[in-house]
Amino acid sequence: MSRLEWQAVVAGVGGQGVLFVSRALSTAVEPKAGSILISEVHGMAQRGGAVVSHLKAGPFSGPLVSPGQADLLLALDPGEAVRNLSYLVEGGWLVVNAPDLDFLSPKARKALASFGARVLTVPAVQLAGQAGARKGANVVLLGAAAAGGALPVSMAELEAAICDGQPRARAEANRKLLALGAEAAAQV
Amino acid sequence: MGSKNKVRKEILMGNQALGRGLVENGVAVMTAYPGTPSSEILPSVVQYGAEMQSQPYCEWSVNEKVAVEVALSAAYTGQRSAVAMKMVGLNVALDPVMSSAYIGVIGGMILISADDPGPHSSQTEQDSRLLAHFAKLPVLDPDSPAMARDLVGPAFALSERFQIPVMIRPTLRVCHGRQNLNLRTPKELERVPGFPRDPFRWAAIPKMRLALHHALNAKLAKIQDYLSKSKSLNQWHAPLRPRAPLGILASGVSAALARDLLAEMGLPVGEGKVPFLQTAAPYPLPIGPVSELIAGCRNVLVLEETEPVLELLAPNRDKLWGRGSGHVPSAGELTPEVLGGVLERALGEAKLKAARPKGKVLSVPDQPPMRRPNLCPGCSHRAVFYSLRRALPTGVYPSDIGCYTLGMNQGAVDTCHDMGAAVTFASALSRGLNQADKDTPVVATIGDSTFFHSGITGLVNAVYNGHRFVLVILDNETTSMTGMQPTPESGLTADGHPGNAVDIKKLVEGCGVRWITELDPYQMGDLQKTLKKAWRWCKGPEGSVAVIIARHACAAQRPRDAVASPCKVEVKGQAAPVKTSFRPQDNPCADCGRCVAVCPAGALTRTGKGKIKVDEAKCTGCRLCAEVCPTGTMVLEPAGACVACGLCSTWFACPALAKDAEGYISIDRGWCVDCGLCAEVCAHGAIAPLEESK
Repeated sequence: MSRLEWQAVVAGVGGQGVLFVSRALSTAVEPKAGSILISEVHGMAQRGGAVVSHLKAGPFSGPLVSPGQADLLLALDPGEAVRNLSYLVEGGWLVVNAPDLDFLSPKARKALASFGARVLTVPAVQLAGQAGARKGANVVLLGAAAAGGALPVSMAELEAAICDGQPRARAEANRKLLALGAEAAAQV
Repeated sequence: MGSKNKVRKEILMGNQALGRGLVENGVAVMTAYPGTPSSEILPSVVQYGAEMQSQPYCEWSVNEKVAVEVALSAAYTGQRSAVAMKMVGLNVALDPVMSSAYIGVIGGMILISADDPGPHSSQTEQDSRLLAHFAKLPVLDPDSPAMARDLVGPAFALSERFQIPVMIRPTLRVCHGRQNLNLRTPKELERVPGFPRDPFRWAAIPKMRLALHHALNAKLAKIQDYLSKSKSLNQWHAPLRPRAPLGILASGVSAALARDLLAEMGLPVGEGKVPFLQTAAPYPLPIGPVSELIAGCRNVLVLEETEPVLELLAPNRDKLWGRGSGHVPSAGELTPEVLGGVLERALGEAKLKAARPKGKVLSVPDQPPMRRPNLCPGCSHRAVFYSLRRALPTGVYPSDIGCYTLGMNQGAVDTCHDMGAAVTFASALSRGLNQADKDTPVVATIGDSTFFHSGITGLVNAVYNGHRFVLVILDNETTSMTGMQPTPESGLTADGHPGNAVDIKKLVEGCGVRWITELDPYQMGDLQKTLKKAWRWCKGPEGSVAVIIARHACAAQRPRDAVASPCKVEVKGQAAPVKTSFRPQDNPCADCGRCVAVCPAGALTRTGKGKIKVDEAKCTGCRLCAEVCPTGTMVLEPAGACVACGLCSTWFACPALAKDAEGYISIDRGWCVDCGLCAEVCAHGAIAPLEESK
């Protein structure tokens, strides 16, 4: 079996759970890729600044994704999606926490379409809010990405990465958030 | 033994990997002062050390100099020790570090100095490898979390073989990278600490130091030979080929990224078109393999961060392409974006065609504005900075390194230089600015951990020399910016055990300060009165340094404690802006200038004694002038609703105060923690509690 080669950029704002998302993704893909490299940002940027995490699964040696190489851009914030769009590979996935693509200018939307990007927009904050866990928007978005086919792993593998070994109440809450995301992906 | 030997695979952060490596190699004493990107190393030694019978002794030292001295003397007793810091901390520690190479160690000692190319959260981009060279200490340069862990063993071995401390220099992408690795069994070294008395070595007089310097130089020549012969520290990713037009000499994260980039450009290092030597030992330079590479290639591209260390130490420098030749930029992180361009240019000049061009890159117009880091919602520092500008608006505000540096967003931080400089800068600024009897309040702000680190010495100096300024110690009882490490005041040690708490107030008293007040900055009215009172005392005949200890729990660490009187606030509807008028005919102007000083819009100017000009175009109707006017000369009609004056969003700068296109404010419930502070800030009473606080 050939090993998985997959690169992702997770972008957002301090406090949204960017680091949690990249760790969950890496735990989920690690068995398939064999080797994992992540680069995350700590310290000053965590206080409301832009936070971006690069994830490389497979036979890579450097921790940062080159522009034009990311198979997935998972954005917890529309503005940060724009800032990191140049990392997408042609035909790559953009999964973004937004009701639609209106946050992009018409010019940017056209550029994205001509790049063959596959797009999944999810109003994750609203959905998480409805479930009474506003801070769980990141898990909703992950659920949508898995169900929408943007990840190299199945929903079950993702769920195991997030919920296994967690206290029961937290695991249950996360399962619910993942399901909400999956439902949203089905509707798009 | 069985279960102990089972291979455990985990995804570890670089700092955890370093901590793991130290425990796997029998570290007995570990010290550190927190600083991004190094802060997680010591907690990892605490965590993994629990797997050992004799758990290593770990301490958060009050600063890096202390941390180095404790680790160094532990290594004198034959134990293995380590010390971790960020690179600007290395400057603080440089005094003992410089001597450490001369005197040496018995047990292995590792000095970890984490660099921050970029710089993402630091004052400089300095390269610790240059300081290792300066201090004549061997330094190792890992390219990944796994390599960082794997270098700990060889570093201890090198240190003990040659009786010299060894530096490991990870960069941010190593420290805060994550990688999966197999955990090895922690090693228990059965060493009984002892101190071989030898004053001619441990307390060497200058004459002895000269002899030691000669011995050190001889030792370094042997180390260089040892490093040259090491196959594991010098990896040929692609072997030398006869008459190669271009070779690559690289170290650290740049080496790792270059390997990926060459693959993306269709020239994978495995195919061997470009000879590629990666050395993990930049100093003393492994001269054997490096000379071989340079002799065998027409040109050699040198990739390293941040300064040209390999490049300056390498022989035959006219063949090198790097910072000296302009091929590599001399500031900033070597990200794939930058390094890609460097490689493309070098391959082009060497007439090596990349087999296929790099993939297409989407260029996106209309980039969003940069996001500024911000103090957390509910943070009591915000109340201090707001009060500072209200109480002493004409002041100069030196500040320091930590969360409070973000007071810049509120216009209440004028200087930020290095740990402790708030106090020393305030000394000279107050002296200079007030020499000609001018009345410029100087108010310094510093956090509790930074005060313990190097604020105290500045305070002793200020008291002794009779400087006059207000020092506000922003005491949130933790080291917040780097991730909530305990301070001496908390009395909690690095492994969570109780130590002895050190009282800041008594310490300040002990420094000889005669004017001290402790208060809760959430009481913004009191704070403003106290600030004014403190400054009046400072400039009075008996005045000197006045200290205000503003104490409130960190909003990120203990959110519930941080919020004193939880109340939901709302913004009342929008009203037409009310303009200011200046009516000396009703009440004579006292000519105090306060209105001019506080006006956030800069709409007021003095045009002569007792005369103020109001620029109607600039006035936002914020009412601040009327509020501070002692005689009632400045007049404003009451508004009772948001007039988009911007006072709260600029001077208070809470991320929960959302501003629409016209500047009107609403509360963003995603950020708001219901601390209720902003209700005190609004000069119109437009932001008000929804209900009385419980």
